[in-house]
Amino acid sequence: MTAESVKNGKAVVVHNLERRFDGFVAVNRISFEVSAGEVFGFLGPNGAGKSTTIRMLCGILAPSGGQGTVAGLDIWTQAERIKYHIGYMSQKFSLYADLTVEENINFYSGIYRIEPSRKQERKEWVIEMAGLKEHRHSLTGTLSGGWKQRLALGCAILHEPPILFLDEPTSGVDPISRRRFWNLIYELSGKGVTVFVTTHYMDEAEYCDRIGLIYRGELIACSTPETLKKEYMPETVLDMQCDRPQEAMDLIEKLPAVREVALFGKGLHIVTEHSDEATAAIRSRLGAEGYHIEHIDVIVPSLEDVFVSLIETHDRMEKPLEEVKR
Amino acid sequence: MKFRRFRAIARKEFIHIFRDPLSLGMAVAIPMLLLVLFGYALTLDVDNVGMIVWDQDETPTSRNFISRFGGSRYFNIRGYAQNYRDVVRALDTRNAMSALVIPRGFEGQIGAEQPASVQLFFDGTDANTATLALGYAEAVASEFSIEVLTRQLKMVDGRHMVLPLDVRPRVWFNAELESKNFIVPGLIAIIMMIISALLTSLTIAREWERGTMEQLISTPVKSSELILGKLLPYFAVGMFDVLLAVLMGEFLFNVPLRGSVVLLFIMAGIFIPGVLALGMLVSILTKSQLMASQMAMVLTFVPAMLLSGFVFPISNMPKVIQFVTYLIPARYYVAIQKGIYLKGIGLRYLAGDAILLVAFGMVIIFLAIIKFKKTLN
Amino acid sequence: MFERIRHMLVKEFIQILRDPRMRYFIFVPPIIQLFIFGYAATMDVRHIATAVYDLDNSVASRELVGRFVGSGYFDIFEHVDTNERATELMNRSLVRVILRFDAGFQSSLLAGQSAPVQLIVDGTDSNTAGVVLQYGTKIAQQFSKDRFTERLARTLGVTPASPGLTIQTRTWFNENLESRSFYIPGLIAIIVMLTTLTLTSMAVVREKEIGTMEQVMVTPIRPAEFILGKTVPSATIGIIDMIIIAVIAVLWFGIPIRGSYLLLLFATGLYLMTSLGFGLLISTACQTQQQALMITFFFFFPAVLLSGFMFPIQNMPRIVQWITCVNPLRYFMVIIRGIFLKGIGIDILWPQMLALFLIGVATLFLATKRLHKTLA
Repeated sequence: MTAESVKNGKAVVVHNLERRFDGFVAVNRISFEVSAGEVFGFLGPNGAGKSTTIRMLCGILAPSGGQGTVAGLDIWTQAERIKYHIGYMSQKFSLYADLTVEENINFYSGIYRIEPSRKQERKEWVIEMAGLKEHRHSLTGTLSGGWKQRLALGCAILHEPPILFLDEPTSGVDPISRRRFWNLIYELSGKGVTVFVTTHYMDEAEYCDRIGLIYRGELIACSTPETLKKEYMPETVLDMQCDRPQEAMDLIEKLPAVREVALFGKGLHIVTEHSDEATAAIRSRLGAEGYHIEHIDVIVPSLEDVFVSLIETHDRMEKPLEEVKR
Repeated sequence: MKFRRFRAIARKEFIHIFRDPLSLGMAVAIPMLLLVLFGYALTLDVDNVGMIVWDQDETPTSRNFISRFGGSRYFNIRGYAQNYRDVVRALDTRNAMSALVIPRGFEGQIGAEQPASVQLFFDGTDANTATLALGYAEAVASEFSIEVLTRQLKMVDGRHMVLPLDVRPRVWFNAELESKNFIVPGLIAIIMMIISALLTSLTIAREWERGTMEQLISTPVKSSELILGKLLPYFAVGMFDVLLAVLMGEFLFNVPLRGSVVLLFIMAGIFIPGVLALGMLVSILTKSQLMASQMAMVLTFVPAMLLSGFVFPISNMPKVIQFVTYLIPARYYVAIQKGIYLKGIGLRYLAGDAILLVAFGMVIIFLAIIKFKKTLN
Repeated sequence: MFERIRHMLVKEFIQILRDPRMRYFIFVPPIIQLFIFGYAATMDVRHIATAVYDLDNSVASRELVGRFVGSGYFDIFEHVDTNERATELMNRSLVRVILRFDAGFQSSLLAGQSAPVQLIVDGTDSNTAGVVLQYGTKIAQQFSKDRFTERLARTLGVTPASPGLTIQTRTWFNENLESRSFYIPGLIAIIVMLTTLTLTSMAVVREKEIGTMEQVMVTPIRPAEFILGKTVPSATIGIIDMIIIAVIAVLWFGIPIRGSYLLLLFATGLYLMTSLGFGLLISTACQTQQQALMITFFFFFPAVLLSGFMFPIQNMPRIVQWITCVNPLRYFMVIIRGIFLKGIGIDILWPQMLALFLIGVATLFLATKRLHKTLA
């Protein structure tokens, strides 16, 4: 149960992984690698194929094509053995609602055959970590989202697996609990645990060591957050503060240099391929209408900007292909 | 197969059962209810069949004849008709199930040694009761007929003639001919099939529906540990139900138990796992509680009630259906139950059926374990 | 409002019928049950396996045995030589009757004495045992009477003119006394109730269990609309099931429908009201589908057993007979058998129909009140 079972320092290796459901391609030949000890995020909208991928890696869903290894074990032929070395938290944090906190922990303890000598210690550790000391005898169904989430995480790591798969672990949980949860993830990562997380929260993606952007079953980008923000976006993003942003937006949209405009906070974010040209055009257009512009600056794009841009590019490329197919 | 994982599953299932007192209560209450109903309220014995009489003769002889019916335990005179319409009305409204019509001149004919006849009408809707009532009626009439003959003879000859045949009917095994004596033992088999259909058919489907199964299949737990672990608590519930049924049969209904009690429980212990596993197999295959319950009802409970020999004797069924009953485990268990209770027979006669039940149980459990896949879709 | 109802109905129908397995299970099991019941459910007694233990082995004993066989009811399984063998056959349930003649049977007969013959019946299935006893006794008595008449003729030289008393029996409504005609109409009632009960009770609870109930509560749907949405699909399936089974009953099994079809449909509608009412009532009492199923069966079994379907109500203890007054199945059993086999009409059946109506209204009202509290 230690990191030595990881081959070449790679916890997860995936090559051309594919999954079809009755003609619908949920995961379309994706390839990536996750290093040991990394916090790897799988980012994408709902239905993109995140859960499907994670399920294939956990050995609970058979792939339709491609190859993959987890902890050095093949996901086609050694799926059952993989389950000894991983912890999995499914999307519904499926704990047994009619069992108490302690009973749930005891159950998973038994399932993972934790040695009797360590059993008590591990149980106390999970209860402590999840902050459930006063609730050890409460029925899990009565707990609020944040507690359930931490308990589910705890149950998944009772046996100290080297690799952790978390499927949308923070959905429906309040921001403070989310933050707390990510602190736990960092702790684990610090101890050398590989954490593979799927999420659709862009801000969470920033917490990861590396991110894979997945859209409609395809991996459209895979790199560190920094690199993605700096190098993946062909366009520039301008941040502008002005008065009457809503009306300003209507005017600016039509400018040829402007690819896209969106409200952002009290101002606007403008996506353009030619930032100088666009800045000039905007100043002149708005100036002509009497708008007062506080500032227009080039900013580092947020991951959301990057993602949206990449998706749109992908869509533009996909469209002609689709029509040919039909 | 690792014991600790098995134990974890079994323990969890026990907790589920006890945390749902409503279901558990039903699992105990339904058998008890059925036993009480069958023990007290339900009987196939035919008594007090309603009869309406149209006595067109109104003589001592005709009244004597009528009293044979009214006085017997089988018939109950509900009224006297004055015409045919009354008779029809009585049968239509189910005020009476049978009608006796004695023609005018009945006494005269009997006295004059001429052929006499009466008419009996039956409402055949309830074929069972009608058949039995018909039989009784014919028996009553037959007796009367023989008496008439004998008296006629006496008047001719004065000698006392005896009937050639002395028919001695004897009943073995259930001399009281009480239907509850054979229904209660068979009922235990039915109860087991019901519990299996209701409880185990839901358990696996429920985990799929709630999402907890997805979590479970990502762990190293084996199919065999899961199935057997889940079976154990329901087996305990089942044996408890059997104990309850046996106790109620003994102390509440005075159903005679002539065979060995130990054998009774051993046989129950052999029968129950297979039946529970069948319910579980349904749960594995359907993954939906609603569907599992429908399928389980058709597969376990309906054949148990109809084809096991519990109420409808198998030998009365068409050959094809009889053949089918060989595939139904409840058939063997009902026979075993009746055998132990009423005939007091032991392993010497029951070994064959017992072995079949063991084989059945093992096959179904094996199937359940194989069919359970630790993957989605 | 109708828009909402329509949407709800569409959603319910889709949910129920989308899954092909569900479609299969709503229609196929009732049909299977019908066929099994139609063929298996019979109290008619035939092919009674008999062991003949004839220690006399004379013309007379063989003649009597021949009569048994000739009646068509008794099949000879084996001629046994020992008491042990006969007992063993009974123990193993290979025979149900032992016909035993002791040595000297024929000589007793010829000597004008009473010759004993033993008819030993397996009483385990007391009902069939009773019938077997009757058949056996009747055959033996007929033999007895015939011999008697012969004896008379020989001794006195006269043949009594009157063969005593004859009974002419006529059976109405189910002339062949086929159990099947009795059970199948009743079976329609049972299957329809079972299907609609489980569908209704579980459908509502399913939403509670999965959690979509909350979403429903948030919409502007009114309780009445919700109830309609849950009950109409079940009711429709119930009626379809009834029609299918009735068609099979008539065309395949040859059960006549002597009464009015319209009345049958109307009565079924009333009956469905009660079924749905109970289903809804049950659903208000529980949180999980498992509980719904268990409670449904807790009420369903007694309902069937105390309906007069198989066990005559008149034979039940008084108290129990009173209890059956609230059982809708009891009334519908009378109605459906009346319409099928007797061809009677509303003039005779109105009490039952009124009872159904009252029960239906009461349960629906109660259920609606309870659901109101949950939804409003």
